[in-house]
Amino acid sequence: MTTTTTTGAPRSAPAGRTDVLRASGVTMRFGGLTAVRGVDLAVDSGEIVGLIGPNGAGKTTFFNCLTGLYIPTEGQVSYKGTVLPHRSHLVTKAGIARTFQNIRLFANMTVLENVLVGRHTRTKEGLLSALLRGPGFRKAERSSEEKAMELLEFTGLAGKREHLARNLPYGEQRKLEIARALASEPGLLLLDEPTAGMTAGETSATRDLVLAVREQGTAVLVIEHDMRFIFNLCDRVAVLVQGEKLVEGSPEVVQADERVVAAYLGTPFEGEPGEAEAAEVREAERATGTGPAAGTAADENPKGERS
Amino acid sequence: MATTNPEAGTTTAAAPAEPLDVTGAPGTLRLPPKAARLLTAAGAVGTFASTMLAWTWTAEFPGDLTYYGSPVDLQTLTLVGSLLTLAVLLAGNGVRGLRWLTPGGKTAPVVLLALGTLGVVWFTAGAIAVVLGGIVNFEPGMWVAVLTSLATVVGALGLRADLPFDPADPALRDPGAWQRFRHSLKSATPAPARELPGWAELLTIAVMFGIGLFVFTYGIDTPYGELFIGFLILVSFGATALARAGLSQRLSKLTGKHRNVTFTAAFVAAACFPFTQSSDQYTSVAANILIFATVALGLNVVVGLAGLLDLGYVAFLGVGAYAAALVSGSDTSVLGVEFPFWAAVLTGAGASLVFGVVIGAPTLRLHGDYLAIVTLGFGEIFRIGMENLDGSSGPSVTNGANGIANIPDLVILGFNFGEDHTIFGVDIGPFANYYLLMLVFTLIIVTIFRRADRSRIGRAWVAVREDETAARAMGINGFRVKLIAFALGATLAGMAGTVQAHVTSSVTPEQYQFVEVVPPNSAFLLAAVILGGMGTVSGPLVGASLLYLIPAKLQFIGDYQLLLFGLALVLLMRYRPEGLLADRRKKLEFHDTGQLDVPTGGPGLSKTEA
Amino acid sequence: MNDLPQQLASGLILGAMYGLIAIGYTMVYGIVQLINFAHGEIVMFGAFGGLTAWLLLPQGTALALALPVMLVMAVGVSVLVGIGAERFAYRPLRGAPRLAPLITAIGLSIMLQQLIWGFYPDAKKARTFPQFSGSSVEILGANIQRGELFLLIAAPVCMIALGFFVAKTRTGRAMQATSQDPDTAKLMGINTDRIIVTAFAIGAAFGGVAAIAYGLKYGQIDFKIGFILGLKAFTAAVLGGIGNIYGAMVGGLVLGLAESLATAYIEHIPGMELFGGGAWKNVWAFVLLILVLLVRPQGLLGERVADRA
Repeated sequence: MTTTTTTGAPRSAPAGRTDVLRASGVTMRFGGLTAVRGVDLAVDSGEIVGLIGPNGAGKTTFFNCLTGLYIPTEGQVSYKGTVLPHRSHLVTKAGIARTFQNIRLFANMTVLENVLVGRHTRTKEGLLSALLRGPGFRKAERSSEEKAMELLEFTGLAGKREHLARNLPYGEQRKLEIARALASEPGLLLLDEPTAGMTAGETSATRDLVLAVREQGTAVLVIEHDMRFIFNLCDRVAVLVQGEKLVEGSPEVVQADERVVAAYLGTPFEGEPGEAEAAEVREAERATGTGPAAGTAADENPKGERS
Repeated sequence: MATTNPEAGTTTAAAPAEPLDVTGAPGTLRLPPKAARLLTAAGAVGTFASTMLAWTWTAEFPGDLTYYGSPVDLQTLTLVGSLLTLAVLLAGNGVRGLRWLTPGGKTAPVVLLALGTLGVVWFTAGAIAVVLGGIVNFEPGMWVAVLTSLATVVGALGLRADLPFDPADPALRDPGAWQRFRHSLKSATPAPARELPGWAELLTIAVMFGIGLFVFTYGIDTPYGELFIGFLILVSFGATALARAGLSQRLSKLTGKHRNVTFTAAFVAAACFPFTQSSDQYTSVAANILIFATVALGLNVVVGLAGLLDLGYVAFLGVGAYAAALVSGSDTSVLGVEFPFWAAVLTGAGASLVFGVVIGAPTLRLHGDYLAIVTLGFGEIFRIGMENLDGSSGPSVTNGANGIANIPDLVILGFNFGEDHTIFGVDIGPFANYYLLMLVFTLIIVTIFRRADRSRIGRAWVAVREDETAARAMGINGFRVKLIAFALGATLAGMAGTVQAHVTSSVTPEQYQFVEVVPPNSAFLLAAVILGGMGTVSGPLVGASLLYLIPAKLQFIGDYQLLLFGLALVLLMRYRPEGLLADRRKKLEFHDTGQLDVPTGGPGLSKTEA
Repeated sequence: MNDLPQQLASGLILGAMYGLIAIGYTMVYGIVQLINFAHGEIVMFGAFGGLTAWLLLPQGTALALALPVMLVMAVGVSVLVGIGAERFAYRPLRGAPRLAPLITAIGLSIMLQQLIWGFYPDAKKARTFPQFSGSSVEILGANIQRGELFLLIAAPVCMIALGFFVAKTRTGRAMQATSQDPDTAKLMGINTDRIIVTAFAIGAAFGGVAAIAYGLKYGQIDFKIGFILGLKAFTAAVLGGIGNIYGAMVGGLVLGLAESLATAYIEHIPGMELFGGGAWKNVWAFVLLILVLLVRPQGLLGERVADRA
């Protein structure tokens, strides 16, 4: 993949688009902790949407709600108009594929095998077919392998098909994850921090890859911390803070919003999510005398760190 | 990964005459290289000669080692060991015509074979002393053997190792004797072989299986325990030597290239076994081993491929056996029917399938540890159930603790399995008949195993084993895939059970326990799969053979058999959890080698049809 | 049905025994995610330890006097075996894939059985364990054997002590921390190795108490008792919610009751006439396990834990 630095905003999505993803009112509560609160998000076909926010804002949790890894406490997610069942393999079958924040490749399988596993849901040859080894089986295996090799070429990994996934350098592992996700021919690809830990060159290559994915007709929803990557790539950006969607709009709009900056820096601002709860906690601490001593820095910044 | 830098600071003057030695590191004992080679060769020849002498004066020690000029039993083993030692020594030193023996390591196989021969000789000496009561029972020949085998080892330990010490490893800067010893057992990866013409490769495979059959037959036919131990010693050191010499790798490449021929050859070799026997005595052992091994292969689908822990697998064998027994027309069966064999097989397999699904469906949705306990419970419940369905403690189905006996012999298409027949001029008895029948089932199960492994579902199993969450995210229905594996395993066991019912001619509840002295039982089955190596075809077969033969041949361990078995499991998990014949992927799962494992051409790891 | 109080009582007492053993499983599983397969054999060793104490005391000692000595010996032996197992069998395999420690545990369990079978005098058949003579005591309409009284007192004492230990002492809290997140616990300065040993020790100790109760109740012990006891106790632990110590006791009680009531009353259900009685009693535990796994896999007191992607 060539590395190019692109200036200016990316092309916006073509007209005549259809709703690929529509998440409404998604809420996720773990006991007393509300990790995601009433988030609405829509992605149209041909769009690249970015999802940003400080650490602990609930972005990965939101992804997990979309893909059936978690069952949201409230709200619903629909893909191309159909409400999705809460089972990851059915979500993938419907057409949403994902990568993981901490790479979850099948470490002891080869590069080719990883992508072939990704094809699982688009093939149907079961045990009986495997045992009988009829012509249909061989044809299906061959076609799977061809498609897998296409994806490996697409991501630049074709030469390493027999290498074990665990032996790939980090950047290539990320590419393999994307290839594997693409193998299920998704209409929507969820990328969770795809450029974490990458160099500038690798990041740029990833950007090209994502654009190529969009070119192929797959919409993309990407979580990222690299602001330049996001703003150079996405048609729209949504900002998640403390589980709530703070702002959504074009990259320029979001970049200019002071509240976004404040949220990242941790300084308090008007109407910030979680303000009510923080006030409750402070009140409770004062009442029981267990809060920080008055006049300390902790008192000034009611927002605690959450990892 | 052989490097060819000459070791720094080498001061050997005779460089041109010994190009192979200069590259290594010093051996365990610091001997001049020429002296080491000479001593090893002399020792080997001497050991060979000693086998021509008498080792003891009385025939009371089994095998009768009292003759001059005709080596028997343990002496024969020693003879073979010493010849092999000599052969690899010469091969490593470039003697024409033998070089093919050591494409990989040259010193390591010598050391190993010398040690193996020493093991056989000294074990024999010890056994004579113990059985006959004292060293006084040795003849001079025994002393000669003891000393020459020791000389061989001393010489071998003086040979330079095959690889130089890793300069990056601080522990090896000034290695002690033990480290040098361990290092001398490492060997270089063999260079790829010259391409042989196709017929030569197939011939090699055939010869390989011929030798394998011979070795296996020898092992089964050992009439007394001491000989079996000697055999085990020689075979284990020999097999390791084979691996270090690089021959195993070359052979695997060959078999990888010609997979179907390999399996046909293996099948033919196995089918030849009954024809090598003059009586049915050891064929019954072989038949039982085959049943045990085939069931272990079925368990390998569940444990090795899908990674599910099934601790009650023998119950599925029992279900199949009882089902077949009930429809066999036996007079002790409550069902007065007699199904033709194919229908009995379907019944047995079907019954096991049903139980497999019933047990698996609720449990496979949960954490793997729960499956372990539930299957363990099921194994127990099966036994209790069979015991109590005798009409008094429960409805009368299985005749309780007495089981269903007098199961008639099979008659398929007029061929009565219970009678002797003459085929190719050789008399084969009932056990041989059943052995061959079971072999057909083994072939079926091996085919099923291989085909399932290299397919979409085989890959799904590995994915689920590696990371179930990620597998689910790839669209794999984890539960369904696991249930298929579990149910398939149960069905295979049920199939094997239908043959077992006829071989043992009676089925009783006590045959199907979690652990007992006689295999098959769940613990031994699991141990066979793990010992042999999960996920491969040959692994469970080898594991089962060992686990059956060792208690059967070494009767004198008697009471301590199970104690040693338990100890063996603990040690196995501690030191070699991937088993004896593990495939590459399993080795990686257990040991983080930290090495770049780049493929070097030849069949890849990928589970594809390609 | 007029002996219902009797069945309830014996069911509860039986259940208390299962519960004590189940605690051993649940504590170890909660901390290191290992099913200590050999736990049943640890209990069995405890039983033989108690028996040995009895045999070593002078002939004619009253059981009531000997009991404390036997108890100490049983607990001591169990704890020693338990700690030994942790140190020599399980600790070297801490990082290994799940299969390795499980197989090791199976091997260990077989070894322990065979050690008793092979080396303890006369252990190839069952050995008699002393029992209390004298009439039973009547409580609330049920006849309680004197031997069962021991457990009636010991089980609550143990549970209260354990509850106090886990909630109020430093080590107890450290255990909770380790079971939730061992790496962070280490970072907080907790010696996780020591905590793990403590978990094994407590589990084994409770097993020792249960062992004495077993001997007093059944009057004989043999090398095989660990296997079935272990299976049932693990069922109890799962029933109550694996990792939860109160769940273990609750699960044990439920299991004991189910076993008792089923054995007594199943034959009265039409169609099940032949399934009553002792021959099938082990089956009911297993059936109960399957039912629980079907309906409420996290157990009675367990909680669902979400899996972080």
